[in-house]
Amino acid sequence: MASHGVPRVSGAPDKSHQAREKERKQIEQYKDLERNVVEKIKAKDFSNTTLQLTGALLKQNPEYYTIWNYRRMILDDVFQKELDANKDAAQAEEGDAAAAEKAGLTLAQQEIVLLIKEDLQFLLPLLKQFPKCYWIWNHRLWLLTTATKHVPSHITLELWKGELGLVSKMLSLDSRNFHGWNYRRTTIQYLEDLSGKSMVEPEFEYTTKMIQSNLSNFSAWHNRGQLIPRLLTERQAGADERKKLLDDEFELITRALYTDPYDQSLWFYHQYLMSALDSHNPRGPSILASVSNGDRLEYLDREIDSIRDMLDGAEDCKYIYQALLDYSTRYLEVDAGNKKITTTEMKDWLDELRKIDPLREGRWNDLAGKLKL
Amino acid sequence: MSLAAGPGRGGGASAAQLPDELQLVVDKHVAYIQSLDTRRDELEYHLTEHLRISGIYWGLTALHLLGQPEALPREGLLDFVFSCLHENGGFGAAPGHDPHMLYTCSSVQILAMTDGFSDLEKRLPNGKMKIAKYIASLQQPNGTFAGDVWGETDSRFLFCGFLALSLLGMLPNQRPNEPPIIDLTAATDHIKACQNFDGAFGVAPGAESHSGQVYTCIGALTLAGELDSYLGEEGKDRLGAWLSERQLPSGGLNGRPEKLVDVCYSWWVMTSMAMIDRVHWIDQKKLTSFILQCQDPDHGGLADRPGDMVDVFHTCFGIAGLSLLRYPGLVEVDPAYCMPKPLVDNFLGRK
Repeated sequence: MASHGVPRVSGAPDKSHQAREKERKQIEQYKDLERNVVEKIKAKDFSNTTLQLTGALLKQNPEYYTIWNYRRMILDDVFQKELDANKDAAQAEEGDAAAAEKAGLTLAQQEIVLLIKEDLQFLLPLLKQFPKCYWIWNHRLWLLTTATKHVPSHITLELWKGELGLVSKMLSLDSRNFHGWNYRRTTIQYLEDLSGKSMVEPEFEYTTKMIQSNLSNFSAWHNRGQLIPRLLTERQAGADERKKLLDDEFELITRALYTDPYDQSLWFYHQYLMSALDSHNPRGPSILASVSNGDRLEYLDREIDSIRDMLDGAEDCKYIYQALLDYSTRYLEVDAGNKKITTTEMKDWLDELRKIDPLREGRWNDLAGKLKL
Repeated sequence: MSLAAGPGRGGGASAAQLPDELQLVVDKHVAYIQSLDTRRDELEYHLTEHLRISGIYWGLTALHLLGQPEALPREGLLDFVFSCLHENGGFGAAPGHDPHMLYTCSSVQILAMTDGFSDLEKRLPNGKMKIAKYIASLQQPNGTFAGDVWGETDSRFLFCGFLALSLLGMLPNQRPNEPPIIDLTAATDHIKACQNFDGAFGVAPGAESHSGQVYTCIGALTLAGELDSYLGEEGKDRLGAWLSERQLPSGGLNGRPEKLVDVCYSWWVMTSMAMIDRVHWIDQKKLTSFILQCQDPDHGGLADRPGDMVDVFHTCFGIAGLSLLRYPGLVEVDPAYCMPKPLVDNFLGRK
């Protein structure tokens, strides 16, 4: 869409005659190919040749959405013809018929599966080269959902399993690619629907693995947070088991924060866990069986102490002061008469914050007003 | 009439060589945008045809904000827009390209900026309703919107649908006495389901918070008139905190935690902050300076980061960002519409 991260060449000389001539030829070839595809589609020539031509064009320009639409029109047409032909086994090659029967498919379905697999293969190098191109992911999803429409679920299930492998590979190349994470969530949903089996446990494990290889991966922390409420429901976890999981998560994130208190991703996950205890946050997750003010104080007490300890050696870390102020405010809301939190200390934290984080001065001014500090 | 959306010519000083007192090179940006249509001898011009109409919207918006709304000829713009219109009321990115929500939205924005709706009626009787019906036809049973008949959904498409319908005067809250053409409640319910614990929004329910999606969701709630009642002061504080953490020491803004800064987020992040009255939660002076460093001071245009290739997309959102920052001499931008505010006010009959 737009150029990202492409360096500007300083004082680049004008293109040579040769370079301009080369570019002119490239343009001519590209426009010829485009014209050829458009004419064939207009003439309703949905042949394999046209399909190949769309492929050649999309390799040059995967952002050309109309051509992806043409590709789907061609495939839809082929699929329909296969289904309409209603080929019986007698007319078909004996080998094909036997193979289809063995796979539990009609001949038409076998052809469709073959074409879909071919198109998934065609997409692979494109996806690796353009991992942030919406249209490629979109076409992939269309192929899979179309397969779901036309072929039995045991075959579709295998296709989706392949997708899980692919998306894992894509996320190992770029662990923050949000197309990849969205596609993964969609894949899991289809796999669960088709197999009737939950995948929440292995997916939870997957986030553990991703976090272990790179703590600063908020996309993995996010997905972990999304899975926790469902995981607990499916484990039919009682109050103790729920508390144990929350405590384990706090231990995990605290260890991570000690490793790098300057990493925002980690603080957002800490906030996520704390939001499970926050009655004011309508989007906080449900983790504990029930949350009393006693629970709130217990966790706030423990976390405030633990975060206060983190200051040692990281006195210039703004996130620590932010967390202390945030959680202290909540502590005061639950127990205004406590001796743990003093206004003087909160004022000191806010002063530190103003000093080390002048970018957000306006926010700290508003906070001072709100907390009457 | 068409514009390249591709990168500009290289050249210009590197960030390190720029003087302390940076200025917006208005005339050069105008000339850069005007030059985009003359570059048919560049392959990039042809490779970006699939977003041509959005390129025109980006260029035209930048020109309006720079105070030069006439810098592109109106007749040429209208001819091009109408050449992208399909029978079903949708617009493609260029003549012959399939209709899509993104390009329908850009087209309606261009028509609004060129006062072109009467021309539309002349060329296509009942044109406004036809466009509105196309948009409405893309709403899904769960309230969200598809980009086109092929069914991809994304909160971007929902917002584009709202924005275009609003400019057409066809949102249900704009015509309370007519039967609604979309299910507004289902749509806003879907947006609310995209919100996360951090107060920000993702592309679908369950997806990670992302500044671009914050803009589309906050923008849609603004157009539906539900922003204040839904978020409240506490919700605004939570979202504002997340958004303000997008600013990095360079002054630039990123789109998610631990990602690189990029000029386009000057718009997505800051305009969301404007809609919840929290722009003062970031350092506006430093952001202004960051955006100005992304200019090509010799040939005009803005890039994603200092020293990179410029393009019309970043040129638009950089200048829109500067307008929100009240950079002297720029026309005020409307945060939800990303169009000149006086024009939107006039258009919608707002005071």
